[in-house]
Amino acid sequence: MLRPLALVLLALALPAGAATIDAVVRDARGRGVAEAVVYAVPEGRELPPARKTAVMDQRNREFIPHVLVVQSGTAVNFPNSDDVRHQVYSFSPAKTFQLPLYKGTPANAIVFDKAGVATLGCNIHDRMTAYIVVVDTPHFGTSGRDGKVTLPNLAGGKYAVRVWYPEMKTEPSPIAVTVTGNERTEVSFVAR
Amino acid sequence: MHRSFMALFVAMLALPATAQEVWQVSGFALMRAASAPVSGPLGRDPSENEPLDSETLEAQVQVGIDWLPSPMYGAHLHLLGRSDNADTRRGTFGIAEAYFDANFVPNGDRLRLRGGAFFLPTSRENVDALWEPAYTLTPSALNSWLGEELRPIGVDAAYFRGRAVVGATLFRGNDTFGAVPVARGWQLSDHWITLGEWVAVDATDFTSVSAETDGRLGWSARGAWNGEDLLVQLTHIDNRSDGRKYGDLFNWNTRFDIAAVEYSRGDWTVAGEYGWGPTFLVLDDGRKFGNELAASYLMVSRWWRHGRATFRADWFDVDDDHRRALTAAFLWTPPGKIRPAIEVTTAGGEQRVLLEVRYSFSGG
Repeated sequence: MLRPLALVLLALALPAGAATIDAVVRDARGRGVAEAVVYAVPEGRELPPARKTAVMDQRNREFIPHVLVVQSGTAVNFPNSDDVRHQVYSFSPAKTFQLPLYKGTPANAIVFDKAGVATLGCNIHDRMTAYIVVVDTPHFGTSGRDGKVTLPNLAGGKYAVRVWYPEMKTEPSPIAVTVTGNERTEVSFVAR
Repeated sequence: MHRSFMALFVAMLALPATAQEVWQVSGFALMRAASAPVSGPLGRDPSENEPLDSETLEAQVQVGIDWLPSPMYGAHLHLLGRSDNADTRRGTFGIAEAYFDANFVPNGDRLRLRGGAFFLPTSRENVDALWEPAYTLTPSALNSWLGEELRPIGVDAAYFRGRAVVGATLFRGNDTFGAVPVARGWQLSDHWITLGEWVAVDATDFTSVSAETDGRLGWSARGAWNGEDLLVQLTHIDNRSDGRKYGDLFNWNTRFDIAAVEYSRGDWTVAGEYGWGPTFLVLDDGRKFGNELAASYLMVSRWWRHGRATFRADWFDVDDDHRRALTAAFLWTPPGKIRPAIEVTTAGGEQRVLLEVRYSFSGG
C-alpha cells in the first residue's frame, strides 16, 4: 500500500522536464579529450548567481582537481593539504587574486563572480597549475578520458551548449539545442 | 644577530594590516644540535674533505620579505643569519636572494621574467619557501653544493604552457662554481651562501657567488614536464668561467647537467636527481687541470598527518673518488609553529645525528 504511494510522490517530485544532454569531446584523431568542460547555458532565461562553495585542494604540490568548473557566484576554498607552503595566484581577467604564503586553510574563500577561466599558479612551485572555469549556468560537467560528459535534469527549453578544455586555442562553435520532456540529446565537439 | 636585520624585522612585523597585504613576512628560526664534533674528521677543516660537516650547536634565522602589490609583479628578499660561519668571510648574516618578478600572459600562457639573485628552480628536495628542504634537514650532496656555490645573479625567463615549463637564465658571478666539490669535497649541509660571502674551499682559496672576476656571463637552460603524478626535468648550467686565479678566488669552468624525476601518489613521494659534468681550472703554466663531477640521490618519503619520514641514498664522485651516504629523517609536524626533527646520516664510515627544533612565523 505504501510503496505505490511513495512511487506516486516520487514521480510528482521530479522536475517537469528532466532532459539530458550527452556530449562527447574528441580531438582531430577521434580520441576522447579528458578534462573538457561542457556546459549548457539556457537561452532567454537569467539565472541567479550560485550561492555554493567548492574546493581547490593542494596536495603533493599539485592542485586537485586540475580543472574545476563552478557556477558564477561560487565561493572557492583553497586548503593547503601539503606540509610545505603555497602562494596561490591568478592573473586571469576572470579573477585576479593572490593568497599570501600559507599552510592549512585560508580564513576566506574567493568568490568567482564572473564567467571565464582563471588560470592558477603558485609562486613557490613552478610545476603547479590548474584552471577554474566559471560558467553562468548550473548545468555543467567535466569529461573523463573518454571525452564524455552528461548534463542531466535539464528543464525544457533552448540551450547553447559550449565547451572549454586546457590549452584550447579557438573555442568550437556553441551548439544550439532544444530539449523537451525526458528525451536525451547527443552533441559532439572536435577539439582543435 | 645583526642590528639592522633585527630592526628591519621588527619594523616589518609592526606594519599595519593593510600594508601587510602587500608586504608579507615569513620565515623560521631553528636551533640544531649535532653529534659530530666541532673539529676532527667531521669538523669544518677544509682539508679534511669529509661529507658530513656541522657544528655541534648552531642556530639559523631565515626571513622572507615579499612585496606583492599585484599578481603581475612583485619582489622577494631572503635574509639569512646563522651562527655557523667558522670558515667563511662575511657569512654570519646576509642576503640569500633578492629579485623582482614580472608576469606576462602571452596567448593565455604565462611568461615570468625574474631579475636579481635567486636559486635556480631545479631541486626536487628544496621545495618549500625560502628554498628549504621539505623532506630532510640537510639536502643531498648535489643540492647542498648548489645551495652553497650557485646563485645566479642576472635575468631568468620562464615560460609556462599547460603542463610544460621551459626556462633560460643569463647570470654574472659564480665564477668559482665547481671549487667546492673538487677542492673541498662534497658535503651534506644546508649552508646557503649569501651575497658577498666567501666560503673556504681549502687552506688558501675561497668560493663566492657574487664576485665577478672574469667579466664573462654564464647561462643555464631547463625544461620540465608535469604529469598528473610525475615530473621530469632537465637542466644545463654553464658558468663560462675563465678558470684563472684572482687573489684568493680560483675560478673553475664548470658545465653541469641535472636530470630529475619525481613521482608523488597519495602520501608517498619518490624523487631522484642525477647531475654530471666536467670542470677545469687553468694552471700558472697555462695547462688545464680538469675533473669530472657527478652526484645523485634517490629518495623515498611518506607523509602522515603530523609527520614525515624520509630515506635517501646519495652518491657523489670527483673523478675516481666515489662516496656515498645514507640519510634517514623524521620531521614531526604537530599543529602549531614548532617542528622538532631528527636526521641520521652515515657517510664514509662516519655517522652524524642532527636534532632540530624549528619555529616558523607567519605563512604557516
